[in-house]
Amino acid sequence: MFKLLKASFLGLIAMAFTATSYADITFVSWGGAYTASQQKAYVDTYVSLNPDAKITVENYNGGLGEIKAQVEAGNVTWDVVDVLPDQAITGCDEGLFEKVDQSSFINDMVVPPVSDCVVPQIFWAYTVFYDKAAFPGKKPKKMKDFFDTKKFPGKRGIHTWAQANIEMALVGDGVKAKDVYEVMSTPEGIDRAFAKLDTIKNDVVFWSAGSKPLELVSSGEVVMAIAYNGRIGAAILSEGKDFEYIWDGTVLEQEYLVAIKGGKNTAEALDFMAHASTATALAEQAKYIPYGPMRKSSIDIIKKGEPWFIKYGGDIDIMPHMPTHPKVLKKAVIGNPVWWADNGAEVNERFGVWKGN
Amino acid sequence: MNETTVGPILTSDGIPLKVSLQKSERKNKIRAFLLVVPLLFFILFTFLIPIGDMLLRSVDDSYINTVFPKTFEEYKKWDKQDLPSEELYKTMFFEIKEGSGYSIGKATTRMNYAKSGWKSLLKKSKRKFKKIEDGPYKEQMIVIDKRWADMEYWKAIGVMVDPTTAGYYLNAIDLKYNADKEIIRQKENRRIYIKTWIKTFKVSVLVMFFCLILGYPISYLLATLPLKYSNLLMICVLLPFWTSLLVRTVAWMVMLQQKGVFNNLLVMSHIIADENRFQLMYNQTATIIVMTQILLPFMVLPLYSVMKTISPNYMRAALNLGASPLHAFYKVYMPNSIPGVSAGCMLVFILAIGYYITPELVGGKDGQMIGNWIAYHLKTTLNWGLCAALGAILLGVLTVLYWVYNKLVGIENIKLG
Repeated sequence: MFKLLKASFLGLIAMAFTATSYADITFVSWGGAYTASQQKAYVDTYVSLNPDAKITVENYNGGLGEIKAQVEAGNVTWDVVDVLPDQAITGCDEGLFEKVDQSSFINDMVVPPVSDCVVPQIFWAYTVFYDKAAFPGKKPKKMKDFFDTKKFPGKRGIHTWAQANIEMALVGDGVKAKDVYEVMSTPEGIDRAFAKLDTIKNDVVFWSAGSKPLELVSSGEVVMAIAYNGRIGAAILSEGKDFEYIWDGTVLEQEYLVAIKGGKNTAEALDFMAHASTATALAEQAKYIPYGPMRKSSIDIIKKGEPWFIKYGGDIDIMPHMPTHPKVLKKAVIGNPVWWADNGAEVNERFGVWKGN
Repeated sequence: MNETTVGPILTSDGIPLKVSLQKSERKNKIRAFLLVVPLLFFILFTFLIPIGDMLLRSVDDSYINTVFPKTFEEYKKWDKQDLPSEELYKTMFFEIKEGSGYSIGKATTRMNYAKSGWKSLLKKSKRKFKKIEDGPYKEQMIVIDKRWADMEYWKAIGVMVDPTTAGYYLNAIDLKYNADKEIIRQKENRRIYIKTWIKTFKVSVLVMFFCLILGYPISYLLATLPLKYSNLLMICVLLPFWTSLLVRTVAWMVMLQQKGVFNNLLVMSHIIADENRFQLMYNQTATIIVMTQILLPFMVLPLYSVMKTISPNYMRAALNLGASPLHAFYKVYMPNSIPGVSAGCMLVFILAIGYYITPELVGGKDGQMIGNWIAYHLKTTLNWGLCAALGAILLGVLTVLYWVYNKLVGIENIKLG
């Protein structure tokens, strides 16, 4: 409600003082190490090619709320936004995003793009990890170990929303990664996932900010946690943490760029997006953060270029940290944004009931 | 009527005094009005119009009716016993096939609230219907997607056929319409809102209560200590007030988590065993503790400003007249501080009830409040109708509380300074 008030208020103010310069592109992303890598790989390289261009980078917290408010108020201040796939679908359907020319990359993608409005960015993953020191003896290897508090006692860190928790519970219950969404499409499948989640209910610590699971595991508050794979990678590569991934049942999510419809610099925005989705630019990003490019040829560039990851005092092979590593892909669940666009609200309400009980 | 009055008093030029006065006053009135015009417009545009818009959104279902007008007309003839007739399939087919991409797109979002799955069904259908040239349509639609033969999807349309709906309000209290627009309860595993409403009120009342308990003595000290000490104390109150909300919230995480400062101290001093550490973070307890600390200044400041005006002579007089200190406090000081107590409680309660960021960060499994669900639907599902309904209920409850408060205490007894 307050967002809406704020949006309509800001819309009015902005309409009264339309003083924004017309050649600037406002690029909105998630902040932190992720945006820093985009800044280096896309923004800096684009500006060095087009010295006149000016790109302002802003942070947001995901969701389509602000974008819808801007478009409805007729005052679009964002040009390019980094979005999750289910939002890419909904936003494109509702006419919040510009359609883009996908001919240059459509045949080079690991999975087909989710809508006509997107250019590819990266795969990131919900991945379970642990501190090697927490398990001096036998180490957990499979998703079922995450749900086995007898064999591997201790608390588990999981996020406060349903996405990926459901998928992981099913893999932990013995469903094959490739069959997960088939099972989830039956009511019994969802019941089964919640029943599996029940088994660790009393050992769960919930997190909602991406940095939290790393702190939880580092401090020993939990022995294993689900986290964004890039954060785990950064902790291992840059901070020298002794963490280990459990790639089994990891859930891959896609990330795209879109141009907001009705923006003042649409042509420039589309040009920037074309630049930020070339195979070389996508590969470039992996120098700074271990997220997997969505274009096949980018992965080839990285493989040939190893050690690829730039680190102070010596470079490192990045492929073992990539969620799109062929070995990982074999046991990973590829997130299905269409399923979540359909069932997200219902399953998240149920997840809310489950959490509170 | 006073009998001595014979007629209206006239001015020297024969115009009634009343008219003449009004004339000269008018200028002043216009000037005064012009002075408040900016504020009036400001309030109109930033407060009244958005709230009106929100209230409208919470009952508005007209958009979907502009996308499928013929289908909904045809739908009303359906008996809901068996799958609909070819005629209904046909109207739906053409309205999907010929509708503009964006209007169907927006419609899918709305229809998905009524039944999860409509979104992908309509999207797929929109794409595939292009290939179908002529009828019969029913079988061909079912071939494209077998969900077209699922009664549940058809029944879900029933809740959308009217341009205004109470459906969002029903959703906000765990009820829903069935296909015949009768009100039924939401599925048990989705009944989240009533629980969250109760929790929101519980947390807000507790936070208000703790703020009062903690804030009253501090304010008393602030108001009665010599200036030298009370200034120092005031800085202690104001420093956290000036510190960013996020910083304070994260600081509490460090303090209260299981391997955090508080638990470590208890374990180190052998008060509790290592395996019995308190679970103080990521639950409702955390939400209450952190919100109390964050909202405390909103209780202390109005209390302080009221207590400052209570003359110390009252207490001296009461003691002088033989009252025990406790009795004097109860009979003299407390009644005088009531306006501050009311103001503080109102402020804290109103702020607490809509709190969002703190419960999100420290609430974990059961500390989330209604604001978190509003944010979720606002950002992720785009179900702004439900957001509006939740917001309107919040607004309504606060208005009722305000009214009750006014009846019981009287609004003139509120004092911020």
